[in-house]
Amino acid sequence: MAVQGIWSGTISFSLVAIPVQLVKAVEPGHVSFRVLHSKDYSPLQRRMFCPEEDRIVPPDEIIRGYEIGPHQYVLITDEELESVSPERSRTIEIGEFIDMKEVDSIYYDHPYYLVPTKGGEKAYQLLVEVMRRTNKAGLAKFVLGEREYLVAVKSTEGALALITLHYSEEILADEDITPREGKIEVEEKDRIKKSIRKMMADFEPGKYADDRRKKIVDLLKKKVKEKALVEAPEVEEEEGGGPPDLVAALEESMRKVKKSR
Amino acid sequence: MAAKAIWKGNLRWGDFNVPVKLHTAIKEDRIQFHLLHKRDHVKLRQQMICAYENKPVSTEAQSKGFEIEDGKYIIVDPEELEQASPESGRVIEVHEFVKTEQIDPLFLERVYYLEPDAYSKGYNALVGALKEMDVEGVCTWTMRKRSYLGALQTSGRILRLNTLRYADEVISVKSLELLKIPLSEKELKIGSDLINQLTGPFQPQKFENEHQKKLQHLIERKARGEEIAVLRPRRLKPTAPDKLLQALEASLTKVA
Repeated sequence: MAVQGIWSGTISFSLVAIPVQLVKAVEPGHVSFRVLHSKDYSPLQRRMFCPEEDRIVPPDEIIRGYEIGPHQYVLITDEELESVSPERSRTIEIGEFIDMKEVDSIYYDHPYYLVPTKGGEKAYQLLVEVMRRTNKAGLAKFVLGEREYLVAVKSTEGALALITLHYSEEILADEDITPREGKIEVEEKDRIKKSIRKMMADFEPGKYADDRRKKIVDLLKKKVKEKALVEAPEVEEEEGGGPPDLVAALEESMRKVKKSR
Repeated sequence: MAAKAIWKGNLRWGDFNVPVKLHTAIKEDRIQFHLLHKRDHVKLRQQMICAYENKPVSTEAQSKGFEIEDGKYIIVDPEELEQASPESGRVIEVHEFVKTEQIDPLFLERVYYLEPDAYSKGYNALVGALKEMDVEGVCTWTMRKRSYLGALQTSGRILRLNTLRYADEVISVKSLELLKIPLSEKELKIGSDLINQLTGPFQPQKFENEHQKKLQHLIERKARGEEIAVLRPRRLKPTAPDKLLQALEASLTKVA
């Protein structure tokens, strides 16, 4: 598989269960910079730090806490968190199908793809194909990390896309910004419709590019020509030398960096 | 209630001009956790650590570098980045109009409500025109030093801007390298019948964030010092490829 999974589990509808992986469908387009130490140009890593002991804290010494008062926390372990909705943390169970046209775009949050894992390829393709034919999407709830998501699973160009949806309670009312006077001047409307007809086109998002990104890329090209390169010092591999938890911490932070990219 | 306006601008196309104010349309409410040191429950903070010296580095001693090859960087100053920022403006330029159904949901990012700013007969007329023609306007604007691409749409009696992802931000399905597996017409027919049987109207109000409430409950129980039973996540047994037709038929019998 060419892509790295964010989550693995099963997607099901009625009596059919398909093993899948969740992978990202969008990649933020901004030019990504590394944060370096100005002194030695060594890349910096984001790590958890204890201000009292003035030292880096490895992942196995970290716990999640919910603040109930000043310096008072309720501690929650990963296992306890997973126990909140255990039936939903490894299964995306489609309870019903809907017509995607009925979903107001205000509900759309973040898209992902689902890809089949070993043995799931056939049932996966069946779900892709029948949702395409019927023009339907599946609705499900599932838990990822600290949150539970309402999701729509739809067929898109031969794959399953999973789009997280906002809950209706997260959508702000629009009454107080709605114009009090709703009257439409027919003449003006017809004039607008005429102008729209003249400007009708097919949706081709590729026509539009981020100006800022273009400028940054140009700047980088210019600097490469000027050979304005700096080099980071080599960091010795920690093999057996350092404490083992530090290696784990480094790997953990690398994994996080990759995920957030 | 909608939050107060975050930005003002002018919708512009052809010789039309409609002044509007932007409002956020979504408010997410989540339970926030802190990361603590297990042993003494001191609140931890994120810190940038130099990989070479293995020491924390203050913000003043940090630079931004673009990695051109392994370990080699181009340093970019904050002033240079500032110069790359698009010039701010007050115009939301509508470039063209497209049929609503042409916009793949994968491109849709975030919705903002548009409130008419000062009276113009264009606002209500534009709402009516977009609705009757079932179209959306593709537009660009600059807000807070970022260039945005968006779809101008309508809902009820108001206009909205739905920001769109740039084309190269959406990963193509091709890169997933999916295998093609032949399916029988019978499997597809029964599968389609099953989906049609299981189809209902989209009723988002039906879905509550139960997890958030359960999580709140868990926190309260733990705060009282109660013991929490750890439950294992459920894993479903995958349907074997040669049992797919059977599973579909059994499903259809169940729902019919």
